[in-house]
Amino acid sequence: MKYERMPNTLRVIYSAFRMAMLYWMADPQWIIPNVIAPFVFTTVALTLFNAYGGSSGPFGLYAVLGGGMMGMWGNTIYSSGFAISFEKWQGTLEEVMAAPSKFIHVIAGRSISNALFGLTNMVAVFIVGIFVFKISLGISDPVLFTISLLLTLFSVSALGLIFASAFVLSRSAQTLTNGLETPLYIISGSMFPIALLPFWSHPFAYILGPTWGIDAIRLTTSQQYASQTFWAGMGTSSALFLDLTVMILITAAYVAIATVLFKMVETRARTMGTLVEA
Amino acid sequence: MNNLRVFVSSAVFSFRAQFNWLSPSMWLTMKFVLSFSQMAFFVFVGIFSGGGASAVSFIAIGNAMQSLSWNTVFSVVQITGQDKGDGTLPLVLATPANRLPLFIGRAMVHVLDGLVSVAISFAFAAFVFGVNFAHADPFALAVTVLLTSFTMAGFGLLIGGFSFHFRNPIVFANIFTFVLLIFCGVNFPVAALPRLAQPISYVFPLTYGINAARQAINGSSLLSISPILAEQIVVGLLSIAMGYLLFESFERSARKTGKMEAQ
Repeated sequence: MKYERMPNTLRVIYSAFRMAMLYWMADPQWIIPNVIAPFVFTTVALTLFNAYGGSSGPFGLYAVLGGGMMGMWGNTIYSSGFAISFEKWQGTLEEVMAAPSKFIHVIAGRSISNALFGLTNMVAVFIVGIFVFKISLGISDPVLFTISLLLTLFSVSALGLIFASAFVLSRSAQTLTNGLETPLYIISGSMFPIALLPFWSHPFAYILGPTWGIDAIRLTTSQQYASQTFWAGMGTSSALFLDLTVMILITAAYVAIATVLFKMVETRARTMGTLVEA
Repeated sequence: MNNLRVFVSSAVFSFRAQFNWLSPSMWLTMKFVLSFSQMAFFVFVGIFSGGGASAVSFIAIGNAMQSLSWNTVFSVVQITGQDKGDGTLPLVLATPANRLPLFIGRAMVHVLDGLVSVAISFAFAAFVFGVNFAHADPFALAVTVLLTSFTMAGFGLLIGGFSFHFRNPIVFANIFTFVLLIFCGVNFPVAALPRLAQPISYVFPLTYGINAARQAINGSSLLSISPILAEQIVVGLLSIAMGYLLFESFERSARKTGKMEAQ
């Protein structure tokens, strides 16, 4: 489809996506702060698994896939905060808000590009896992693996939209992202089953789309893996279908919530005139 | 007297300057949330991988000690980034003040801030993860934490001095705050690293600090851990000296080429 012929919404999302990609390529060293935490956390986890549990079995699977997942998480959360702060520092946030395109579509394009860049971390983690820690990682169903990964990427991006709407009005967006990063790694069960967490934290895990996404990704990777969500005990295909369905519903809810929040933020900013000073 | 004034001013200003990017309420949130969540993450990974109570204790103490690196490495390197980003570097270099107290002073309040981080993290270790402090030698532990904070601030100055030569010091702040988790025996013993990587661990003052802290918590006296602390002091002082030399070389190069922020 030619750029000019794209529907308006898609064109805005694509332009924002392309712009964010160009930013990253112009200054690629910014990838480092975004991916260093998941990369280091995975290396530490793999060493711990080696020390206590051996390099085979579910540990390697958790560490490598979890590390990749954390890369997507980290990049999206960090970048959602940074994108807004960057606009504030450069004094361009007013222009973006004043443009006739919807602000949420601009942020959506960026959010998708951020999550996609987070996949670079997954590649790095895979390389370290396979070549340094000798993890044997076969993908039992490559098609479903790709579908699960892409849907999870969209889910993370949609959550990034909600964060971004809050960051527009906060002076401490970047700091908030630093504070949120590790708690989200824990609650979503990126690196260990959520059953290990206290029971009161489970509802928080279940409202995160990526919790279901990482379960689906693990199901498509190993036939030995048993679902860790509500579908524990079900067959792989049923559990996978239910994981993906729940994630899609949650992602749709994120988009709906983000749309309302962006509307509120935009109205508040226009009424109060506190976009940059906030 | 003048040098002391420069030292104190540099210490106070550098600490206050961090609130340009960090609001006081968020500073408190970070103190509690960041230290707790990192500790919890690795404790759960340790439990999942089959480690028992001793592994939980090992990991919790390691992460409690590592929490000070957010103050002594990340925040100290961030000063360099702020100077470059906010355009205050030419003013710093134009001042006739003695460079040594000016340079070292930058890290000093962060040493105290690091002590607060460790105290909070130890509280989490004891009350949330059940680490037993009953046999600890409080004096040995206090001296260990103080020395670790001071020497790690020295390491922060080394990375800060190094990153003067680059456009985005924040990149180095991130890298060196996190790699400590791999090399310093935070979550697993240094011996678990590949043999070739183990010497790298002893470049970081934190490695000695964590080792000494674990021994102090198990009841070792200050005298018995003093050889470890002596090595830590040597590494910390070397870090400060090398950081200062890097800072001076940057200043010379900046005066010669007229480039500061753009390097």
